[in-house]
Amino acid sequence: MATDRITERRRVFKQYKEDVESRGKPFYPFAMFHDTVMSLVVVCVIVGLAIVWKYSTPGDHIGTDPGWLGKLYDAPADPGTFSFVPRPDWYFYFLFYLLRIFKWPDTVVIGTVGLPTVLLVILIAVPFVDVRPERRLLRRPVAIVASILVVVSMGVLTYKGATAKESLGTELVAKVPSWAKTQGFSNNQQALAGAKTFAVSGCLNCHTYLGVGGGFAGAPNLSAEGAKNKGIDFQIRHLKNPASVNPGSPMPSFAGLGETRLKELATFLEASKGGK
Amino acid sequence: MATRRLTRKEQIQQTILYPVDWIEERSGLVGGIKYFLFRKVPGDTNWFQTLGSATLTAFIVQALTGVILAMYYKPDPTIDPRTKLPVAYESMQHITNDLWAGWLVRGMHRWGASVFIILMFMHMGRVFLFGAYKYPRELNWIIGVLLLAMGLGEGFTGYLLPWDQTSYWATVVGVNLNGTAPFLGPFLAQFLNGGTYINSDTLSRFYAIHMLMIPGAIAALIGLHLYLVIRLGVTSPPWSKEAAGTGPLDGHTPNGAVGRSGLSRFRRGK
Repeated sequence: MATDRITERRRVFKQYKEDVESRGKPFYPFAMFHDTVMSLVVVCVIVGLAIVWKYSTPGDHIGTDPGWLGKLYDAPADPGTFSFVPRPDWYFYFLFYLLRIFKWPDTVVIGTVGLPTVLLVILIAVPFVDVRPERRLLRRPVAIVASILVVVSMGVLTYKGATAKESLGTELVAKVPSWAKTQGFSNNQQALAGAKTFAVSGCLNCHTYLGVGGGFAGAPNLSAEGAKNKGIDFQIRHLKNPASVNPGSPMPSFAGLGETRLKELATFLEASKGGK
Repeated sequence: MATRRLTRKEQIQQTILYPVDWIEERSGLVGGIKYFLFRKVPGDTNWFQTLGSATLTAFIVQALTGVILAMYYKPDPTIDPRTKLPVAYESMQHITNDLWAGWLVRGMHRWGASVFIILMFMHMGRVFLFGAYKYPRELNWIIGVLLLAMGLGEGFTGYLLPWDQTSYWATVVGVNLNGTAPFLGPFLAQFLNGGTYINSDTLSRFYAIHMLMIPGAIAALIGLHLYLVIRLGVTSPPWSKEAAGTGPLDGHTPNGAVGRSGLSRFRRGK
């Protein structure tokens, strides 16, 4: 059987070569004309995007205000600040958004590295799995369904990632009293101060807390973090070096906040029992 | 000795052809180029099949603009005492705001990356829907998958270079995510960071990977990719009634009526 298939596909390829030789057309000028037109279109699109990027930037077209295609550049990198948004370039949104689906910590490995690796292996395997010579689409139902699924899921995930909301620290601070009420720590000054630090330090750009926050990088919901009773010392150690107590954690270190604020933040987290 | 003097036209022809013949005799390159240009492709190839060369064009745009950017960019995260800004950030700002057409070159590189990646996906989609990855083109499909992975690697490493808040923190989290991979993850994260955490060596390391390591590999693989395209030929669209591989068609002489008349029509300038 297998030898039949190999003989047959060799015969078809030989026929292909003969057909191309007898009734094909030369690459130059026919195919090359199409290629040249398409390449010019590509260069024009790239130049056009660069021009729109620059000249839709408000004011005198320099600085950090976003235009139609986003900022020309952001504020300089500062490892000491914490109000950051870890947002990759748009073509990684689908990967970033996958992290929301796979919940930390048990399955996040699947979302971050497992799934991309699996996708890569599947792609490489395609010509070895699909060994039939059939190329007509209507006779390849599995290929049609697979490609529609891939396009739709990547499109939806990219869209979701692009529209994931970023929250501003100043807006989040206003929510602290309602958090305190729900969680019942209104009389705990340490926890209140920690809640404010939590709101302005960019925690909610990854984590979710009582229904607010980005949850963009698949970080866990912290609304009921205190219910796990891990203790203030654990929380402080985790904030200083997340990977040391939670191996493989992608969360950056927040040691720069200083002992006082870390203690407050840890108290706040321990006081967060999930509310009613 | 020549029995007659060469005409003026023949003299000019000889002068022009001499260096071409010289190169051909020593390298065979002229014959190679001729073969590349005048090789036959199936008569029914269409616009969808320009996506590959469009991707190549986007890569060439990236290479050219990248070289220009490299002339002015400084991969140094230390703070300039005069301006209190990181040197890398400062050089990126200088390119964007001060240099003549610097914004255009940086904009083309920044958006060319997106176009390059979109085109790679579209080209891959076309090859998949045409079933063009099947025998004997499996190896070229694999090379294409590797090129896609490397293109995404370029996107990841290039994103850090402006050294602003967005790029810095996206990379911190991105490298940490790589670190969660089983077995190789921690080593990969360590390699990318040049240490356990992102540090002063990380930026120059990303720069070296972004402009030397991956582009070199991409260029080599593109060469191999094109070699296989030329060696194995381009597939006909699967729906085509006259797809190559189905044998002789009615109304065609066996030895190339379409191909030859096509070429001669071009030569007559119609």
